[in-house]
Amino acid sequence: MPMKLLDCDTLIPEREQHVYIKEAGEDTTQFLPISNAATIPGTLSERGCAFCGAKLVIGGVLKDTIQLIHGPFGCAYDTWHTKRYPSDNDNFQLKYAWSTNVKEKNVVFGAEKLLKLAINEVFDAMPAIKRMFIYTTCSTALIGDDPKAVAKAVIAERPDVDIFVVECPGFAGVSQSKGHHVLNMGWIHEKVGQVEPKITSPYTINFIGDYNIQGDTDVLQRYWHKLGIQVIAHFTGNATYDECRGMHRAQLNVVNCARSAGYIANELKKKYGIPRLDIDSWGFSYMATGLRKVGDYFGIQDKVEELIEEEEDKWKPKLDWYKERLKGKKMAIWTGGPRLWHWTRAVEDDLGVQVVAMASKFGHQEDFEKVIARGREGTVYIDDGNELEFFEVIEMVKPDVIFTGPRVGELVKKLHIPYVNGHAYHNGPYMGFEGFVNLARDFYNAVNSPLWALAGQNIQEGL
Amino acid sequence: MADKAESLVTFIQERCLWQFVSRAPDREENIDGVLTLVGILLTGGVPKLQTPMDRLHFANANHLVTEIKTEFPWITQLGKEELFAVVTGAIKRIHGLTVKNSKNGELHQPLY
Repeated sequence: MPMKLLDCDTLIPEREQHVYIKEAGEDTTQFLPISNAATIPGTLSERGCAFCGAKLVIGGVLKDTIQLIHGPFGCAYDTWHTKRYPSDNDNFQLKYAWSTNVKEKNVVFGAEKLLKLAINEVFDAMPAIKRMFIYTTCSTALIGDDPKAVAKAVIAERPDVDIFVVECPGFAGVSQSKGHHVLNMGWIHEKVGQVEPKITSPYTINFIGDYNIQGDTDVLQRYWHKLGIQVIAHFTGNATYDECRGMHRAQLNVVNCARSAGYIANELKKKYGIPRLDIDSWGFSYMATGLRKVGDYFGIQDKVEELIEEEEDKWKPKLDWYKERLKGKKMAIWTGGPRLWHWTRAVEDDLGVQVVAMASKFGHQEDFEKVIARGREGTVYIDDGNELEFFEVIEMVKPDVIFTGPRVGELVKKLHIPYVNGHAYHNGPYMGFEGFVNLARDFYNAVNSPLWALAGQNIQEGL
Repeated sequence: MADKAESLVTFIQERCLWQFVSRAPDREENIDGVLTLVGILLTGGVPKLQTPMDRLHFANANHLVTEIKTEFPWITQLGKEELFAVVTGAIKRIHGLTVKNSKNGELHQPLY
C-alpha cells in the first residue's frame, strides 16, 4: 500500500507523505515517511520545541549543574518537572527551575545585563555548585543577546566556575530533535577533552543516550559495575558536568538513544577514534544481546553470561507471568521516535503483544527505516501525528493500550482508552531485565483497570 | 541461494542497528565489516582483531552468528561456496536497502 491519506487530512493532503501502512513484500526503499520536516500549517502537531529538546531531554538531567534559562519564565517552568530523572545526590536537578525572567523592557533594551546579574545571583545563592548551562530561548535569541560573551566575562571574574551555553532557541528547528543536535555538537567541540578522568578499570565505556528515567541508569550501572566496566560518562543520566567533559578517554561508546545522542557518538569516533556500538536497553532478548556485544568487545564473555543468567533467573518467571496474560493485546506506541524501534520487537517477542500503530514526534527517516524493518505488516506508522489523526487511527486499529506522553495521554484518557506514560514511565525503570517486568506490569495494570470503563459511565443516569 | 540470502536479510534488518547509523559511509563500513566477519565466523575462520573497529565489528558479528545458527539451522549444512554466495548476497541486498536505494534524505548530508 502506498502512503495513506487519512480521512481527517483531506484538507491537508501533504500529510499523506507522513503516514504509512506496511504491507507484505514492501520495504523502505519503496515507502518511507517524510520526517524531521517542518510541521504543515493546519495540522495540530504534538511536538515540542528545539530548546525543549536540549534542556528537558539532555542538559537538565545533569545532577550538579544549574540550568539557567535565559528567557521568560514560562520556558523554564514548562521544561521543569515534566520528566522524572532522579539522581543520587538528592535530586538537585529536579528541585529548582532557574530563569532570567525576561520581561518586555528587557526585550526592548537588551537582556545581557540581566543575564550577568542572574548568573552571579545563582552562583552566590548556591555556592557549592560550580557548573552551569545557559540556554537561549526564542525571545533572547531574537533580540540578539550574546550569552557566550556574558558567560566568558563571568568565568573571567569567577575562575572556579564553568559555563556551557546552548544557543538553541525554540524556533531553531522543526522539533525537539534540533535541540539534541545543537547540545551534542556544542558539547563535543567546546567541553569534551577538558577533564582527564581517573581510570580505574581496563574496560571503559561512555553510556550514551540514557537519561536515568525513573532509575534506568541505576539499573544499567549495576550491570556495568558487575562486569567490571568503568563508565567514564553516562550521557547524561545521573551524570556530572565534569564526567561528560572526560568522554574522550573511553574505549567504547555504547549508544542507547541514537536519536538524541547519536551525534556525539559519531563525533567521538571521528575526533578520538572511539567506536560506536548501538544497543537496545529495553527488552530481555535485546538487553542480553547488547550485553553480549559489550562482552565480545572487551573479551569478558564469561562474566556477561553469568550476569545474564543471574538476571534471567530472577526476572524471567515474572515476565512470563505477564506474557501469559498479555498475549494478543494490541498496543500503540506514540512517543518521540527511538522507542518505536526499541520497543516494537521487544514487546512482541517478550510479551506476545501486537504493536498496531506507531507515531513519532521527532524521529528522522533513519528512525523510520529501523521501525519499519522491525514492525509488523498492517501496522500504521506516522510522523508528527496530529490529534485528528490519532482519533482516526484509534478507530482503525482499536488498541487495548497506548504508550505515549502526557500531551497525547490526556486525549487518550478522554476516550477511556488505557494510557501508559511512554516517555517518563508510569512506574519505571523500564530498562534492563527488571525494567521490562515493570513495563509489563504497567501494561497489565492499564488494560485490566476498571477505571477506564467506569470513567465512561454517566453517573447521573442512576440518580 | 537468493531465498536463503533474503531470509537472512529480513532477520538482520529486524535485529541489527549497525546498518542504520546516520550516514552512508558509516553504514557501508559497518555492513562490510560486520557481515564479512559473519562469513569468516560461519566458516570456522579466526578473525584478526587488530584495531578498535575490528573489535567493534566482531562484537556485532559474533552473537549474530549464534542467532543465525539458531534461527536458520540450514546455514551450518552449507558448503563454503554456498555460504559465501548467501553472505555475499545478503551484503549486496543490505547495501541496496540501507544505502544505494534508501529513500533516507539525510544519508549523504556531510554534517552530523
